[in-house]
Amino acid sequence: MPKKLRFAIGAGLMVAAIAYLIVTAVRNTAEYYLTVGEVKARQTALDGQMLRVAGRVVPGTISWNPATLTLAFGIAQPPAQDAGAAGLRPVAITAGAAVFHVICHGQPKPDMFAPGRDVIVEGRLDRDGVIEARQVLTSCPSKYAPKQPGAAQ
Amino acid sequence: MPLIGQLALALALILAAYSIVANVVGARRSIPTLLASARHAVWAYCAMVTAAVAALSVSLLRSDFSLEYVASYTSYSLPTFYKITALWGGQQGSLLLWTWLLSLFTAIAAFQNRRRNPEIAPYALATLAAVAIFFLGMLNFVTRPFDMLAAVARDGQDLNPLLQNYWMAIHPPSLYTGYVSASVPFAFATGALITGRLDDSWIRSTRRWAIFSWFFLTLGNLFGARWAYEVLGWGGYWAWDPVENAAFMPWLVMTAYLHSVMIQERKDMLKVWNLALIGMAFGLTLFGTFITRSGVISSVHSFTQSGLGPYFLTFLIVVVAAYAALLIWRLPKLRSPAEFESYLSREAAFLFNNLILVGIAFAVFWGTLFPVLSEAVRGVKITVGPPFFDKVNAPLALGLIFLMGFGPLIAWRRSSLDSLARTFASPAIFGLVTGACAFVAGLRQWYVLAALSLGAFVLGTIVVEFRRGVSARRHLVHDSAPAALVNLVAKNNRRYGGYIIHVGVVMAFVGIVASSFFRTEIKKSVHEGELFQVGPYSLQYLGIETTETPHVETSRARIEVRRDGKPIAMMLPAKLFFKRNQQPATAVAIRSTPAADLYVVLAGMDDQTGLVTFQIFLTPLVFWLWAGGLVMAFGTVIAMWPNVRERAAIAASLRAAAETPAVDEPLRRRA
Repeated sequence: MPKKLRFAIGAGLMVAAIAYLIVTAVRNTAEYYLTVGEVKARQTALDGQMLRVAGRVVPGTISWNPATLTLAFGIAQPPAQDAGAAGLRPVAITAGAAVFHVICHGQPKPDMFAPGRDVIVEGRLDRDGVIEARQVLTSCPSKYAPKQPGAAQ
Repeated sequence: MPLIGQLALALALILAAYSIVANVVGARRSIPTLLASARHAVWAYCAMVTAAVAALSVSLLRSDFSLEYVASYTSYSLPTFYKITALWGGQQGSLLLWTWLLSLFTAIAAFQNRRRNPEIAPYALATLAAVAIFFLGMLNFVTRPFDMLAAVARDGQDLNPLLQNYWMAIHPPSLYTGYVSASVPFAFATGALITGRLDDSWIRSTRRWAIFSWFFLTLGNLFGARWAYEVLGWGGYWAWDPVENAAFMPWLVMTAYLHSVMIQERKDMLKVWNLALIGMAFGLTLFGTFITRSGVISSVHSFTQSGLGPYFLTFLIVVVAAYAALLIWRLPKLRSPAEFESYLSREAAFLFNNLILVGIAFAVFWGTLFPVLSEAVRGVKITVGPPFFDKVNAPLALGLIFLMGFGPLIAWRRSSLDSLARTFASPAIFGLVTGACAFVAGLRQWYVLAALSLGAFVLGTIVVEFRRGVSARRHLVHDSAPAALVNLVAKNNRRYGGYIIHVGVVMAFVGIVASSFFRTEIKKSVHEGELFQVGPYSLQYLGIETTETPHVETSRARIEVRRDGKPIAMMLPAKLFFKRNQQPATAVAIRSTPAADLYVVLAGMDDQTGLVTFQIFLTPLVFWLWAGGLVMAFGTVIAMWPNVRERAAIAASLRAAAETPAVDEPLRRRA
């Protein structure tokens, strides 16, 4: 069956080309995606690398300069007990808990950015434990932790 | 109201279960009255789900805050329009919407097939009801839309401000319609596998469903992109977020399916492939819901996150395993007599088009799941961002565009080089000239030049094809040129609708390439009255005014835009503050022209100094993405339009099918 074989080769080449594209693209674009705690644990090894770090904004550490579009804040590992209910009702963390400082230049402050919210920070970690962020992503929960007890007011 | 809704959902579950039993037993034992009863059960269950939707809608409109759902997603001050759209603002409601659409489509399919497809239809309807049982089970036992609060809330927590937007109102229903209608062809494929009636009757009977699904998947993706563009305020429309990918993958696979079924209808080839594709498409719709609901993959905009993940994953695995088992069981009966003859044939072009589309879908799947995979294999989460998807998909997209010009014009079976040269000479020259003009105009990026040349090549082939058709008609029936054009499209709507879709794809592709390569971004901090320059425009900031409603506080900046000294527009970017949930939001101002979009974000306000910072994007040709999307939708409507000739063909093929026995011994013999 030479005809069938000829087509199998063509299709195989196509599949191989796609696989090659995927493999090289992964190699060139992969970034570690870590939590604050994981970064802390292996800080020296990650020095200067592009990272995505998931953490929680520490209340009382936020500074925002609207003229230069500079956002600085501390992030910490969210307490373990609400890991399953991400975004639903964040457990309070205190100002002293900040593990890393994040500085992001030149981006508007995301609307969903607020103390106690979970964020993903994309950037490089430097020697002093400061993350130079290219981007701060906020996740947007559909439900908010109500200011008052939501059920009966 | 809540009680009615709850009761209706419980009854719907029972009726759906009954319809499965009645359909299967009725088909195996050939009892027409039982089959009729199954059909009535389908209609009744559809009515029940409709009642539940109505009940929840009424509760939402009335702001009945004794209901947890109503209190969680609306508030008194929420505008009425968004009280209705809150129906799909939260998880229970969106599952209810999904179930409702499924019940509607099942009811319509039951009606369409009350006399048609006597063998496949009962099993197809049973499959649809089985899917519905999963969703109804969730709504009855796991995530109940009619749960009451312990005490009535004084006011609700309001809908997420990002969802209080026109596009978000129409994006989820479009996407869900696309997702859910894909289950009809899937169910008929399952029916075909179970009964062994493996000719193309299942494809023909559900062709319009597949196009319908594709139409809404296209619109759903387009509206989602438009929402991101207008609401998220980062100047782009697509970020390869898992949620977006989840909507994109079924679209890709459905696109592949719509093309490859033509090969089966025409040449009786690729039978296994088509069955696999529709299974994949359906699986991906469930997978999309799974990843957006489960939190397994963190997304920037998972609006609803919950513990539903395990249920969806289990259901997904069961569905995929069962379908794969059926397919493997029938494999011996799916051998195709025909085979590919030449690379220079339409079959081959379609084959490669399919490989690329599924390849893109796989790459997107791989990139989306990469954090999970890398954690499982190497113990560390590694993520690939937008650059990964761009790198992989950009060359594949070029290949796809090339085949889009090549495939429709090349002959079936085999084509000689001579006829190829004749057919493609002028479109190829047109493409090259376009590329050369772009080069002379100063464009140097090879990808942009290739994209423009190929885009022009495709448009050229379509023009050639239309001209050929029109002149043939003019010779045959002596129509005038415009009349010939209209009749040509009307008589062959499927084919020419397809060409119009291709025109839309080229437009969108050019818009995507241009906006990705040539977007410029400027940040500017200014005082009142200050002037600044953005590309050809000069902008003057005239001040901020603040307005207030009970629901939202708005600070709106006024910017006058001038070009060549003449004022051409007043742009009003704003910051909103939603009072109920204490949430700021950004409203961008966009001035869109076919040449470029001017996109202004009010990025920051410094109350002390009065300094206001704007972030401005100038994005060329992005207009053509939206325009192309609308052309695609228009072409799809033409391709879907009922066609008398085609109906007759379906009827004939069904008659012929009814006269020949199914490939397998009828199942009832064994029963």
